[in-house]
Amino acid sequence: MFFRRSCREVARLLTLREERPWDWRERIAVRLHMQICKACPRFEQQMAFMRVAMGRWRNYAGDEPPR
Amino acid sequence: MTDFARQVEALRPQLMRFARVQLRNDAWAEDAVSEALLAALEKPQSFAGQSQLKTWLVGILKHKVIDQLRRHTREVSSSRDDDEDIDDHIFASDGHFREMPQDWGDPVAACNQRQFFVVLETCVDQLPNKLGRAFLMREWLELDADEICKELGITPTNMWVMLHRARMRLRECLQASWFATSRS
Repeated sequence: MFFRRSCREVARLLTLREERPWDWRERIAVRLHMQICKACPRFEQQMAFMRVAMGRWRNYAGDEPPR
Repeated sequence: MTDFARQVEALRPQLMRFARVQLRNDAWAEDAVSEALLAALEKPQSFAGQSQLKTWLVGILKHKVIDQLRRHTREVSSSRDDDEDIDDHIFASDGHFREMPQDWGDPVAACNQRQFFVVLETCVDQLPNKLGRAFLMREWLELDADEICKELGITPTNMWVMLHRARMRLRECLQASWFATSRS
């Protein structure tokens, strides 16, 4: 089907969200997929988590290493 | 030694640590930090004092790290596991997740724990060299896609593959090293 994507394909769109904007087909495909999938919304949250964490890490820039 | 020089010197270990994570090569890290410190000591007046000294130095260091990458990336050989497709381990042949992704909860809560960053940094460190560099150029140095492609001599498609794989690996590593163990 035209808008059908596997989790593997959706995951790839999600990891590259910031670098590679989705076209309209991909946007629709992701929406539809998210409605029927339990795993991918979780995965999306994990990616959001990583974005926040990387932002913090960037700013934290070498506070005392907690050894 | 002036007070300023002493303060700058005191921050050296932290700067070294960050250059090492970024460059994955002690000699290059040493050079980058030395150049950053020299630049700082030559122009103490450009330190406006509004920002923290460390923030200012890290800003300078970023440029020196980029210089080092520019100088050396072409000679970097790819480590052998760079090309392995991690997706093959994560997804079944029908394209579904083999394991249900876990709920990671609130990122801010994790970020308030120092130990989390130790784990994060270790995970970034474990990325294969080329993936690690591409990932850090993007996430830490905040270079845009064009610059990364230029520095690494790769196509955008190539870079997307690398960033995707780096993030998938990082996710696996965080899952195994942080979420699977530290949830007490």
